[in-house]
Amino acid sequence: MVRALRPKNLGEALKALDKERVIVLAGGTDLMVSRKRWSGLTPLFEKPVLFIDHLDALKGVESDGNCVKIGSACTFTSLLENGEIPGFFKDVLSQIASPAIRNIATIGGNICNASPAGDTLPILYALNASLVLAAVGSSRTIAIDNFITGPGETVINENELVKEIVIPKDEFNVFFYKKVGARRANSCSKLSFTGLARVVKGKIGDIRIAFGAVSPTVVRSREIEQKMKNKSVSDIEKMLPEWSNSYSLILDPIDDQRCNRRYRKKISLRILEHFLRSLN
Amino acid sequence: MRIDFVLNGERVSIDTDPLRRLIDVLREEFYLSGVKEGCGVGECGACTILLDGRSALSCLIPVGKVQNGEIVTIEGYRKSDRYRILEKAFAESGAVQCGFCTPGFIMAAEALLRKEAIPDERTIREGISGNLCRCTGYNMIVEGIKRASRMGKGLW
Amino acid sequence: MKDREEKIGDTQERVDAPEKTGGYVDYIADMKFRGMLYARTLRSTRPRARILSIDFPEIPEECFIVDRRDITGKNRVKMLVDDQPFFAEEVVNYVGEPILLVVGPHKGVIDRLISEIIVHYRDIKPVLTIEEAERGHSQPIYGEDNCFASYQILRGNLEDAFKQAAFTLEDTYGTGYQEHIYLEPQGMIGVYENDRVTVYGSMQCPFYIKNALIQGLGWPGDRIRVVQTTTGGAFGGKEDYPSILAGHVAFAAIKTGRPVQLVLDRTEDIEVTTKRHPSIITIKTAIDKQKKISAMDVEIKLDGGAYAGLTDVVLQRAMFSATGVYRVPNIRVRGRALATNTIPNGAFRGFGSPQAFFAIEMHMLSLTEKIGEDPLEFKKRHMLRQNDYTVTGGKMREEVKLDEMIELVVKMSDYRNKYKKYTRDKNPMHKGVGLSIFYHGCAFTGSGEKEKIKAEVRLKKQRDGKVEILVSNVEMGQGSQTTLRKIVAQTLDIPSTDVLYDNPDTDRVPDSGPTVASRTVMIVGFLLKKAAQRLKEEWVKATEVEVKEVYKQPEYIRWDQKKFEGDAYPVYSWGTNVVEVEIDPLTYEIRVRGIWGVYDIGTAIDKQIIQGQIEGGVNQGLGYATVEVLNREDGHLLQGSMTDYIIPCSMDFPPVESTLVDNNYEYGPFGAKCAGEVPFIGAAPALASAVQNALKVTIDRVPVTPEYLLEVMESED
Repeated sequence: MVRALRPKNLGEALKALDKERVIVLAGGTDLMVSRKRWSGLTPLFEKPVLFIDHLDALKGVESDGNCVKIGSACTFTSLLENGEIPGFFKDVLSQIASPAIRNIATIGGNICNASPAGDTLPILYALNASLVLAAVGSSRTIAIDNFITGPGETVINENELVKEIVIPKDEFNVFFYKKVGARRANSCSKLSFTGLARVVKGKIGDIRIAFGAVSPTVVRSREIEQKMKNKSVSDIEKMLPEWSNSYSLILDPIDDQRCNRRYRKKISLRILEHFLRSLN
Repeated sequence: MRIDFVLNGERVSIDTDPLRRLIDVLREEFYLSGVKEGCGVGECGACTILLDGRSALSCLIPVGKVQNGEIVTIEGYRKSDRYRILEKAFAESGAVQCGFCTPGFIMAAEALLRKEAIPDERTIREGISGNLCRCTGYNMIVEGIKRASRMGKGLW
Repeated sequence: MKDREEKIGDTQERVDAPEKTGGYVDYIADMKFRGMLYARTLRSTRPRARILSIDFPEIPEECFIVDRRDITGKNRVKMLVDDQPFFAEEVVNYVGEPILLVVGPHKGVIDRLISEIIVHYRDIKPVLTIEEAERGHSQPIYGEDNCFASYQILRGNLEDAFKQAAFTLEDTYGTGYQEHIYLEPQGMIGVYENDRVTVYGSMQCPFYIKNALIQGLGWPGDRIRVVQTTTGGAFGGKEDYPSILAGHVAFAAIKTGRPVQLVLDRTEDIEVTTKRHPSIITIKTAIDKQKKISAMDVEIKLDGGAYAGLTDVVLQRAMFSATGVYRVPNIRVRGRALATNTIPNGAFRGFGSPQAFFAIEMHMLSLTEKIGEDPLEFKKRHMLRQNDYTVTGGKMREEVKLDEMIELVVKMSDYRNKYKKYTRDKNPMHKGVGLSIFYHGCAFTGSGEKEKIKAEVRLKKQRDGKVEILVSNVEMGQGSQTTLRKIVAQTLDIPSTDVLYDNPDTDRVPDSGPTVASRTVMIVGFLLKKAAQRLKEEWVKATEVEVKEVYKQPEYIRWDQKKFEGDAYPVYSWGTNVVEVEIDPLTYEIRVRGIWGVYDIGTAIDKQIIQGQIEGGVNQGLGYATVEVLNREDGHLLQGSMTDYIIPCSMDFPPVESTLVDNNYEYGPFGAKCAGEVPFIGAAPALASAVQNALKVTIDRVPVTPEYLLEVMESED
């Protein structure tokens, strides 16, 4: 029998992480599926399991003038019910899985799972979110796009825990989110598109574009976004082929059991174009 | 690990592997077979229970997670007045066919009505979107929940 | 006797609803017997291979291996032909084929043993597609030519009609797999005591299982008992596969002397149980100078999977639906069911006819596009009417109420205006509307009821005045616990609560046939009605009375199985659907905006139960038409879990607005015909027609996924 640890507080959790290699379990909605065995048998975890979902230190949402800080063990439901969470973020959260899963699954779990189809990832990339990683006696902050390196892969050290997610409060006046799944609820993304922009006096002030499930990690290009900035919205139509082509070069989806490469790529670009046109 | 929780209104304590699935503990240790396993991977909702007043899938929860928590299964819930309303409304609406998904739908309906006593159609559909039914096509279940909401005015 | 006058058809609350809703009922996975052991199946991981040897780890004393050597009778699952073994012999023919069971008291130990058993295979080149099966193979899987069944229907003079045609048109259609996803996975418990075996489980056909056990055990029937447990959905999926599982638990119970439970996990259930047959259907039609259909040449190919199962009959039903509800003077229908090294396919609501109706309804659209005629008018011009001849040359004796039904559905859905608008408009929102017309032949195909089933029912009046229904038909969600009770209660004029009807136990009930083919109400219900009428005459207070009825084929039915000629079915149920869609111009996701249906099922025994069949059947049919993708690669399923095999959820489709048209059938109880399957059939062609209307492209396969639509739209550009 694999040991399971249920620390009393964050300090104890970090100590446990420092002492041995463990699997951190927050909501468990992904881990329990990937570790599942024959019905009736205890799921197979290869290392001791550290429960963290009950730790109050990881369940808060704080907001100040500059940013919103979200505790990593916040469930999707708790965020949906929290007044500090912006509406467009809730729009994303409300389309994840089903109510019963949203009651259990956590934002930190979704990030650390690092699935190419992870539904909170594109919006977090777009918002320049960073993560606070805590360890005994230390703490570091890392941008989410530096944190995730591939499907299921992150740069987290074995003694670290994602403590909170920090989202800067940048100003946007255009939000667009489209998730394409096989059915209208309770399904994994075939692809997703997130677009945020600040359009002021007919000019693109800020723009953030992130694609989900079309590459090993979320696709966001600051380079292409930079080219779009300060452009007049009336020039979008003219620039569209070039911008679309730039993204076309970096979207690299796969064929799998849920969708095919061709659809993922084509439709992502069509949604991109739709979004950009809508700015005008 | 010793795990203490409230199950259907009673304090219980069990010494077991905290990584066991809650569904297995409920069915095998407490003989609560109204909690059904339809898929085992969180897709079908047949194992829906209430954990601290919210719907949750017992196939995805390691029992260690419910330490000091409160769980209600269909066996506990069916003693309530709200259940009696839902049972009647489901029967009158033709919401029950093979019945395997039904206890899960009832628990999801309770979680939904608790949040919103008079839900509109969209809210109902959204509220039960994690519960799959292969017999009814859902509409008669949606009707059942609407009817319960009407019949049970003031109860939720 | 009764407190109020009830009419047949009036809604009565289902008798099984409260006990199911409250979780009071035990399904097979909920049942425990003293000393019960668990079984898990070691399955083939190869599509086709010779088993060279099997290496076993040390088997603990309390554990058992159960395999083909434990089969005391014949290692063949009794179905139509004896080709499928309970446990593989020298060769495995599909991924998932059972090789042996590991049985024991602890699941953890069983799981470890299963993972430690090593099967050494020598691969044989598998036959993986219909094309490969047809092309021929050095070693056919079945017979000489990989063909499970091959039939032909020939009527009139095809050659002349094609010669004289104004023009001809040929289309080919494809349909995919469909998995049942009954919410309760399959399972059985075997018990061996006092030299008898009892098998409990989730099933549609207790006597199919009993007969399979008689053959597998080589025992006389009186040593075998089969008891149905509350069944959590079936849809055809629990027609033949349960016989295999029942064999497994019976062999295991006998070997171990202990009760043995075998319940499939969902993934295992998806990966190894039967599916709806994938099909390729080609229709070639001759149109004469009056723009009428003068001939149709249809070729149907079904992928049967590795073993024969029920495929032969599925093919027949597909063929009997080949020309749809239309009158075609000259016909050739050729059907072939082919063997491939894949999961054996089997029964699924509609049983071959959904494939055929999808093809014919889409082909009718295709013809009208060529002719330039309104599709509905073109269909109406060709619809079968009373006294016309069916595809097999049987006489359509009943009144065909399609005109009335179509007018109703058109009115309910505003079809004509919508069709005009969506056809004419530039239609940037991609709106479309489609209409399908279909039938379902009630009960067994051909002379099956008379020759094979020979149903017998009994009614037993107890001293206290209560009457027990003794039949082998099961409640599996479709409502037979309520409808059969109603038929008996109303005939006897006693309250429904005075009619008893337990889950069938073969020790107690006669063989009234399997719970399939939408036959339960029409065939079994009619026998029960006759029995009830007799019981009413013979009613004696405070005395036990038992009456028996045996199926007699109505005089009018003529069927020649050799020539495939005559009345393929005793009667038909009919339907028409309209589906309205809107297609996302960016993503090609299909949004269903409205569903309408009008059905002629004779009469409804209970309107709400019928509504449940309609809503559920249409939902399954729309799932088949849109989201239910199941593909395979090298004989392995790609969508082998409920995460990847998608069925519709509550957010996907709106309610079905439906109505019934009465059309009493003399040989059905209170005039009832069949209802369980017919609602499924029209959904896919109506949906696909609506998509075709919206996008102005040809839809020639289901499921119509956004990925497929992208492909079609791009090839149009």
